[in-house]
Amino acid sequence: MTREKKLKVTIDSRELEVRPNTTILQAARESDVYIPSLCTLEHLPSYGACRLCIVEVDGLRGYPTSCTTPVEEGMVIRTDTSELRSLRQEILKLLLSEHPASCLFCEEHDECKEFQGTIRKVGVTTGCRYCPNDARCELQEITEKVGLTETSYPVYYRGFPVEKYDPFYDRDYNLCILCGRCVRVCNSVRLNGTLSFKQRGKLTTIGPAFDRTHLEAGCEFCGACVSVCPTGVLSTKVSKWYGKPDSQVATTCVYCPVGCRLELQLKNNEVIDALPDYDSPVDQGLLCVKGRFAIPEYILSPERLGTPSRLTPVGYEVISWDQAIDEAAGRLRGTKPEESLVVVSPQLSNEDLFVAQQFTRQVLGSDSMISSVMVDLGNDLVPFLELAAGGSTFDTIEGARGILTVGFDSTYGYSPVGTRIKKAAQEGALLVTLGACDSNLDMLSETAFQMDHSRWAEFLGVLADYQARGGGKGKLKARKEWTDDIERISRAFSDSSTNILVVGPEAIFSRARREVFEKARVLRDKLGWKIIIAHPYTNLLGMLAMGAFPGVKPGECLREGTSVTLSFPLIDLTKRKKVVYFIGEGRFDMLPDCDYLIYQNGLPPATSRQPDLILPASLFTESSGTTTNGEGRVLKIEKATEPFMDAKSDWWILSRIAEKMNKGKLKYKDVAGVQTVIKRQVKGFYDSRRRIGFARINAEETTKWLKGAPNQEWEGSGAGKNPSYRGIPLARVVAGMKVVDEWVNTSLLSEKEAR
Amino acid sequence: MPEPIRTILEKHSREPDELIPILQDVQKEYGYISAESVKGISKYLRISENTIYGVSSFYAQFRFTEPGRHSVKVCLGTACHVRGGATLLEMLERGLGVHCGETTEDKRFGLERVACLGCCALSPVVQIDKEIFSRMTVNRLTEQLKEYE
Ligand code: SF4
Ligand code: SF4
Ligand code: SF4
Ligand code: SF4
Ligand code: FES
Ligand code: FES
Repeated sequence: MTREKKLKVTIDSRELEVRPNTTILQAARESDVYIPSLCTLEHLPSYGACRLCIVEVDGLRGYPTSCTTPVEEGMVIRTDTSELRSLRQEILKLLLSEHPASCLFCEEHDECKEFQGTIRKVGVTTGCRYCPNDARCELQEITEKVGLTETSYPVYYRGFPVEKYDPFYDRDYNLCILCGRCVRVCNSVRLNGTLSFKQRGKLTTIGPAFDRTHLEAGCEFCGACVSVCPTGVLSTKVSKWYGKPDSQVATTCVYCPVGCRLELQLKNNEVIDALPDYDSPVDQGLLCVKGRFAIPEYILSPERLGTPSRLTPVGYEVISWDQAIDEAAGRLRGTKPEESLVVVSPQLSNEDLFVAQQFTRQVLGSDSMISSVMVDLGNDLVPFLELAAGGSTFDTIEGARGILTVGFDSTYGYSPVGTRIKKAAQEGALLVTLGACDSNLDMLSETAFQMDHSRWAEFLGVLADYQARGGGKGKLKARKEWTDDIERISRAFSDSSTNILVVGPEAIFSRARREVFEKARVLRDKLGWKIIIAHPYTNLLGMLAMGAFPGVKPGECLREGTSVTLSFPLIDLTKRKKVVYFIGEGRFDMLPDCDYLIYQNGLPPATSRQPDLILPASLFTESSGTTTNGEGRVLKIEKATEPFMDAKSDWWILSRIAEKMNKGKLKYKDVAGVQTVIKRQVKGFYDSRRRIGFARINAEETTKWLKGAPNQEWEGSGAGKNPSYRGIPLARVVAGMKVVDEWVNTSLLSEKEAR
Repeated sequence: MPEPIRTILEKHSREPDELIPILQDVQKEYGYISAESVKGISKYLRISENTIYGVSSFYAQFRFTEPGRHSVKVCLGTACHVRGGATLLEMLERGLGVHCGETTEDKRFGLERVACLGCCALSPVVQIDKEIFSRMTVNRLTEQLKEYE
């Protein structure tokens, strides 16, 4: 930021220097002068609705609202005169004339909180201590600050039914003070537009068009509105009755490769909620539904595995960790390298992945290590990795003048990327969407092309071709129905200084992906386009860096400026294995026949093949480490609570088994120990100032390495579409995600039928 | 997109300021603003359907349900209210199976309420299309409605 000349102003007879280009309210706040305010909020455009922030300014008539009045040199401002105080009380009274006020003015107010000595005077719906917002309510706070202790107006109860039919949060508009924060955050920050004021006057309410539900109206369930509401109107279903959290811990979401920053809210050593951080450079606080709402129910699921157990003919027997380690070590000892298979999850931390590959190589002496990304991408894996490792940072979207998305929708995922795209389009960038069905970006796009997957690569090819030949010159070779459109958008793209191609899950999981990847490479290498691959494999780049792929050594892919050839050894899933070890993975479609199955995860698998040994693992809120996001930033995962029951970190379990088998150098006692070794083997990995850079992966050479892969469900509700964590679909344990998944699947189906 | 709405849209530029003029044209053409129209306008102007609805519901001039072939307006001004207007409305809502502001499924009647039709002396008053019926009773109203197709 450039140094600006400060302005001299007088606030309440104090002479102060304040930043220019701010409002009186901001200036006052920065100088520690308190002015009550309800409707304004940092990161939101000012609105001037509540009028509580009124002040007196010499030379200005009346009482200007400080949140909308810019400061000027020499202003003399008073924020706390007796007129202002009584005016504010009057304004607040009017505001409260439609708000159940019992929680504010009851004379039992203070005692009630502690002793609950009185009989409740009001029903659940009208507030009192039964409002979910009680004790963390901005309206309560303001009422106290404004010094209002009673009201002379009758309270009009609007009698709206409480809206509970949408997933994730409930809405009780009887408590709404129409401050408009939710409307502004939904429209100007999320650029979503689910919420708007409806009707006017006494009938004013907030919500989507035509009495639609939020689900029907295109709500992303990002929870931004819930976070900004100063009253108890909007409340998270899962955590509304927990009251005020005890503390919070900043960490990184590991549900996808964006790597959003989360402020986990804790109460009694439990994660009850997750809030965004608007100052986070990676995501700008634009969490998607998964990070915002799908964490507590997963972590606290009643299905959580809490103790090691072993399968016996009469069911599972709970055993101690010592016994479990013995059992695992005994089984693994003496297995020949080709008789074992390790399956890791791309959603593990860098440290866990590093230890897992060490374990496979040093302890089992094998290189048979697979993961969902390998199986899903099959023999298209290398071109995919090449693109993912050569991807651009998310902030390039901000400077892009042309954006093309292929099979990308950011309603329920990748919203920090999607919202930035929307913002760029709103600010004048050319946005073109290409997909088989509607995308949430279509609304802001110049043209939304809808066509079958099989034609996407051809479309990109024509575009690349046309651009390579410098536009207009020569004839456009394209299908008739495209010519006009392609000519127009190609011209726009060739005039643009920066173009970005965003490849979404629809493309990554389509039959024609190989060709799409190839064309993307052409656009990047020949025409200088930037590429962002929006895939679901959280720590994919960490896997590459840590060497958690067969045939890839730790650090090998990180030599920027060089090139590497990835040659995977043949992995044959049709051969029966002696031991299969699932580390943090729950997808059993990858499981080959085996004599013995070790299952290490947080939740049980949904399958008929029962694991022989279950090792309960802690989840990302329960142990520290780092994860690498899609841009190559190494981000901190912070332990927020103790692990569930007896669960242990993945690296810990692996180290103990290795010790027992007396093989390898895995004697880690803490995660710092793992990091020391990583530092030695993978140079510069934890250098937090810069992103990790990858060597160019040789994509031409692609051997067939996988035999017996499970059948892909093309163009269906496959891996990319129904999000999961450690192989367990979120929809299985998070009630709201189930609703969302069903909605996505039925709307896809009806779109298909319509076509 | 159905043809007429496309023709309407193409008469306007894709600026958000065009919203109200477009809505007015749509209402003139169809008599109301359907969910379909809102969707079309949303794509054209790049504003969400919800925002369009929010803006247009602010103005009393726009309606979102198809008008019936006949409009039935029940007066609920003070005089009529006191003398049974509300009962008439309730009976109509039940009899026609619609809420105030809606149109019957067979599109025969659109039911609305108004505030004072300016003939309080004759209350309670009901207006069907252009005609005013005074001193209405439930029975007479039932009979009267049979006259319309
Ligand atoms: S929103 Fe706040 S002031 Fe209103 S009832 Fe709830 S806790 Fe009380
Ligand atoms: S959850 Fe997000 S998208 Fe949905 S209404 Fe709230 S702010 Fe808008
Ligand atoms: S729901 Fe909350 S944020 Fe939205 S207008 Fe009402 S009080 Fe304000
Ligand atoms: S976008 Fe990805 S990282 Fe961000 S909250 Fe959603 S799942 Fe988590
Ligand atoms: S905070 Fe300024 S008007 Fe509400
Ligand atoms: S109140 Fe009905 S006509 Fe005046």
